[in-house]
Amino acid sequence: MSLIIKDLHARVKDGATILNGITLEIPKGEVHAIMGPNGSGKSTLSKVLCGHPDYEVISGTAELDGQDIFSMSVDERSRAGLFLAFQYPVEVPGVTNANFLRAALQARLPKGEELDAVAFYKQLRGRMKELGMDTKFTSRDVNAGFSGGEKKRNDILQMMMLEPSYAILDETDSGLDVDALRIVSDGVNAMRAPFRSFMVITHYKRLLDYIRPDVVHILYKGQIVRTGDFSLVDYIEEHGFDFVKNAEEA
Amino acid sequence: MDFPDTTDLSTALEMAQAEQRLAAAETPTRLCEDWRFGRPHKYAAELVALMEQADNRGSVTVTGADDAADAIDKDDRAEELLLHTIGSDKILALHLAHFGKGAVLFLEKEYSAPITITYETDGVFLPTTLIIAAPGAKAHIIEKHVTHGAGAIVCTRLIHAEGGADIAVELEEGGSGESRAMNITNIRSVDATVRHLTRHSKHAWAREETIAEVLHSEPDSPADIQLYSANRLGGHEVLDQHTHQIHDVGHSTSNLLYKNVADEHATATFAGNIRVEQGAHHTDAYQANRNMLLSEDATVHSLPGLEILADHVRCSHGSASAPMDEEELFYLLSRGIPRHEAQVLVADGFLTDAIAKFRGE
Ligand SMILES: Nc1ncnc2c1ncn2[C@@H]1O[C@H](COP(=O)(O)OP(=O)(O)OP(=O)(O)O)[C@@H](O)[C@H]1O
Ligand SMILES: [Mg+2]
Repeated sequence: MSLIIKDLHARVKDGATILNGITLEIPKGEVHAIMGPNGSGKSTLSKVLCGHPDYEVISGTAELDGQDIFSMSVDERSRAGLFLAFQYPVEVPGVTNANFLRAALQARLPKGEELDAVAFYKQLRGRMKELGMDTKFTSRDVNAGFSGGEKKRNDILQMMMLEPSYAILDETDSGLDVDALRIVSDGVNAMRAPFRSFMVITHYKRLLDYIRPDVVHILYKGQIVRTGDFSLVDYIEEHGFDFVKNAEEA
Repeated sequence: MDFPDTTDLSTALEMAQAEQRLAAAETPTRLCEDWRFGRPHKYAAELVALMEQADNRGSVTVTGADDAADAIDKDDRAEELLLHTIGSDKILALHLAHFGKGAVLFLEKEYSAPITITYETDGVFLPTTLIIAAPGAKAHIIEKHVTHGAGAIVCTRLIHAEGGADIAVELEEGGSGESRAMNITNIRSVDATVRHLTRHSKHAWAREETIAEVLHSEPDSPADIQLYSANRLGGHEVLDQHTHQIHDVGHSTSNLLYKNVADEHATATFAGNIRVEQGAHHTDAYQANRNMLLSEDATVHSLPGLEILADHVRCSHGSASAPMDEEELFYLLSRGIPRHEAQVLVADGFLTDAIAKFRGE
């Protein structure tokens, strides 16, 4: 059981091609890190997988446990177990965090079954406590007026509540203070399991020191140009991305 | 409390006055500025025809008001004769000529639970609401209009608050899909605070004329009126909203936030005007109309307006109409919320601030 991406080409709708043939397999139970210079297509890859309307797939496939995800609607992909913690979580004025999460969990129940509200709030408060979030955030509108770090934490809260089988974290570490980074990493680590995998997009070694990836990829100009183990992270930390840029010129 | 029919209330003088007005007033036409985009040749003509043969069949129920509630009687008619309209004197005159039922609230104290007034009909019903709030009164009033079938409720309403009274009035208009509704509402705040919210659902056609006058007895006593409206329109619903915020004296405030979500073939029109009279210095008056358009076939007309005859005034008006934010919708979808539900959540979310502000949250 894996997330399998094969030769994926995608572009901005009626615009530039951003992904130029990505092939990647993330088996369940593994954590893969994706690193790469600004603008290389990391966020685009994650949004294309979720079905963001700004992008269109030109060719290639993506399968989630054998299911073709490009034939599914955005909400179906989520219910099939895919989750993206956004680089820039969106503000949704007028919809409270609690109602938002209730609607998302309700959508996962069989038709006719009602979400147990008491159990829901208990679980929500428990998860918020783990993330060091004040319970007043339950009645605040989703991300509206949240600080950068609060938004990131809120996305992780959603991940914890929805318990996806494939989670993509797009620069979840940027904007988090040192304590929050540790708290969020602990939360992610607690969710690591043989039936779940993670794609962790980051620019910094610090996050990967907490969430040790099994495999590290470098994405550059819309392609995976290197795959390796943790030593690749150390190498990038020391030398930057010149080696991939130079390799391309050569 | 259920009020009995009170048909024989009018004195000869009042009838004469009403008839004079009726004779003087004309059915609104296309040329009438206050009916711009309102399709008077269709809707006003239909309404006038309905009112001319109104059966005035309908019920009035009031709960939670203790002894502050009463049926309308002839002494109240003098008040109704003084109401203003925004281009609909003919309709007011017809209303006066048919006058019969309604509710009066005379509020003198603080009410901890909401007071509810309900008008219900399957015919053509022409009730009048008078809410008089004396100094020290504090209350939340919910006025429900329930119209069945091809019926109509045409209601004249006066909300008058004085001397520090703090009144919140919520008008809930509920129709059948074929029903029509019209409300001529005059709000007067004299050194008082009045918040007013209207919500419409499922009328084929509805028009609101809301005239809010902010006054005070002494130069520095605060007076404030807040007007809110929040509506989700679909099908072929037509909502035509007209407002006047009038500041006769200085150091007074008013605020308006009208929000509509228009889906399918719905039409929403908003025409608002703020008038700050000469000498009404240091007035704060705001007006905002915001619309969310969910379909290519939905139509929104927004005509905000200002008339300022005084100095040192802070006034603003604005209007904006836009489709639902794609990023917001995508965010909900990406969490597995099905599209229709996600749209309802975002659309309701768009309306919540108007409702929250009305509730003072
Ligand atoms: N909707 C869009 N419209 C136009 N250009 C886009 C759009 N989305 C992405 N791009 C372009 O595609 C390229 C890749 O962007 P993307 O956000 O995927 O980069 P990234 O690898 O996530 O970068 P960063 O590390 O800065 O977050 C950039 O050049 C970006 O400007
Ligand atoms: Mg990015």
